[in-house]
Amino acid sequence: MNATHHHQRAAEQSPGPSHFAGNVEMDNVVLKVNNLKTYFFTRRGVVRAVDGVSFDLKKGECLCLDGESGCGKTVTALSILGLIDSPPGRIVCGQINYDGLDLVQCSSRQLRKIRGNDIAIVFQEAQSALNPVLTVGDQIIEQIKLHRPLNYKEARRRAVELLAEMGIPSVERVMNYYPHQLSGGMKQRALIAMSLSCDPKILIADEPTTAVDVTIKAQILDTFRELKAKRQMSLLFITHDLAVVAEIGDRAVVMYGGKDVETAPVSEIISNPKHPYTAGLIACLPDVSKATDKLASIPGTTPDPLEMPPGCAFHPRCDRAMAICSQQQPPRVAVSGEHKVSCHLYG
Amino acid sequence: MRKSWLRDYIIRRLFYSIIIAWGILTVTFILVRVGPSSPADRYLANLAASGQDVTQVIAAIEARYGVDRPIWEQYTDYMTNLFRGNWGWSFSTSMPVIELIKKHWIYSFQLILLSSLFAAFLGILIGIYSAVKQYTKADYTFTFLSFIGISIPNFWLGVMLILIFSVKLGLFKTYYDTTLPLFSIENLKALVLPVITLGTGMLAAYVRYTRSAMLDNLRKVFVTTARAKGLPERIVIGKHVFRNALLPLVTIILFDLGSIVFGGAYLTEIVFGIPGLGQISFKAIFANDYPVVVAVTLIGTLVVLLVNLVTDIIYTYLDPRIRYD
Repeated sequence: MNATHHHQRAAEQSPGPSHFAGNVEMDNVVLKVNNLKTYFFTRRGVVRAVDGVSFDLKKGECLCLDGESGCGKTVTALSILGLIDSPPGRIVCGQINYDGLDLVQCSSRQLRKIRGNDIAIVFQEAQSALNPVLTVGDQIIEQIKLHRPLNYKEARRRAVELLAEMGIPSVERVMNYYPHQLSGGMKQRALIAMSLSCDPKILIADEPTTAVDVTIKAQILDTFRELKAKRQMSLLFITHDLAVVAEIGDRAVVMYGGKDVETAPVSEIISNPKHPYTAGLIACLPDVSKATDKLASIPGTTPDPLEMPPGCAFHPRCDRAMAICSQQQPPRVAVSGEHKVSCHLYG
Repeated sequence: MRKSWLRDYIIRRLFYSIIIAWGILTVTFILVRVGPSSPADRYLANLAASGQDVTQVIAAIEARYGVDRPIWEQYTDYMTNLFRGNWGWSFSTSMPVIELIKKHWIYSFQLILLSSLFAAFLGILIGIYSAVKQYTKADYTFTFLSFIGISIPNFWLGVMLILIFSVKLGLFKTYYDTTLPLFSIENLKALVLPVITLGTGMLAAYVRYTRSAMLDNLRKVFVTTARAKGLPERIVIGKHVFRNALLPLVTIILFDLGSIVFGGAYLTEIVFGIPGLGQISFKAIFANDYPVVVAVTLIGTLVVLLVNLVTDIIYTYLDPRIRYD
């Protein structure tokens, strides 16, 4: 029995995105974002931070939201949780379907029950995401007590278990530590432990590897991979780093200018990118097998969110742009079963 | 155990406090003596009228009070007595200074305590509200009112309040009635105008400090974390944001208690005729009653030093990042 158990573990931990993609059933969708538009009404004009994003998050998969900073990844995540500062921000259209509810239409009371309980989020910088004047333990216990009918002692025990599970040493001591007494990696783990405290069905990770150094980054990616395998949780992983996508993602949504431009399984995205922007991103990945003086880059800069180019937002930077690209928004086309792209080249 | 360094720190600070108190005491002692006036001055008019030899009588009075001796001798005398717990003799009221203070301190204390509570409680509430509702009409109104509140001199405000509420409307007495028992509704009512007079400036200042301290923290990532946990807004603001905003606030509030309050409280006491330490100090200055002036200054000094020390200790509990070793 011990041997079979061991085998199972090994099978679960075997790397490679294709493994998980194969397990995912087609209609096993836990979160469906449909034509989401979140605008910010500022004095200088309307910022269309998210301008028509659609994707499905399936049970037990890791879906990566990928794109440059300012492309609307984080705003998408905050929209899902109903955490857009209003004013100036507002979800102007679209649906976010979760568990039979449309989160866009939910009351703040309904949303509060879902936040931290069904859908949790881990922010980029653990240093600033933890409250500096409350102990790590208190911050975790607070969340557990909010969503679970446990008393302080039980909640504390649960918090200790979670921290231990995240591989934090001398947990009882760390519970009474304030954030500044922990190292960067420990803070990030404590934050992840906190987000997991109520067994969320969906975990959103907003660039959790950006603010840490390379070794910690590898550890944190391992942690997420293990969590997903162990907890059958859906992971919405936000990153600007395609290397991270390749490492952890099952499927990826590439975003540009507030829109999803290409959605496909990660292996497809890497080996057969359709959208010129995705292709450009992949061409930019450094290839260690070739000696080179210069890294490739996509010409031009991210468009000003106040003045998005008409038609396809990417056309000014696109080397395959056609006349139609500056006039019409490209439709979303399925190039194969799970591979969708918004580009006139395939229209 | 966790804060074993704190005990050493307190001892060190108390030691410094004694030195500072001694310094201020010495300066005050010298300052009140260098003037050309004498405690005998108030008898001069009568003396001159009755045709007595003025210089002789002055010399007699000064000899009696011991102020004819060299100032150095008086100083060492005073310090030795003070060290033994003897605060000196009040010439003008003919009683030991310590008795005079015992009789009057409570009036200052109640005024300062009530004004501070009134200002801190209301100021923090309005400040939080203003910050949460930033750039709304309510916020602009409170910001404008607090600007006025800070700018009004409190002795003027006191006189205006008396004119309107006591003289015109007859709601309150025009002076503070000392015959009322301290713990009574009547006494509280008698303190309404003085508390508003002394508290308004502080209240306005606290509104502004609270508002800006809250705004500094409202947009921090940990606030979004708190919301993402599913916490209701009441706890997000009241616990997560306010706990962080409290750090600068405590310093300012307790520091004000030491400084603004003492100056303001004295003036308020004089305007309303409240027989507190400010009042007796005020009278003592005009009567050249040196020991009272020095004693009241010393009390003020000690309170400020103590409050500052308490502030620093409270700080270590509010902000775990602070250590003084």
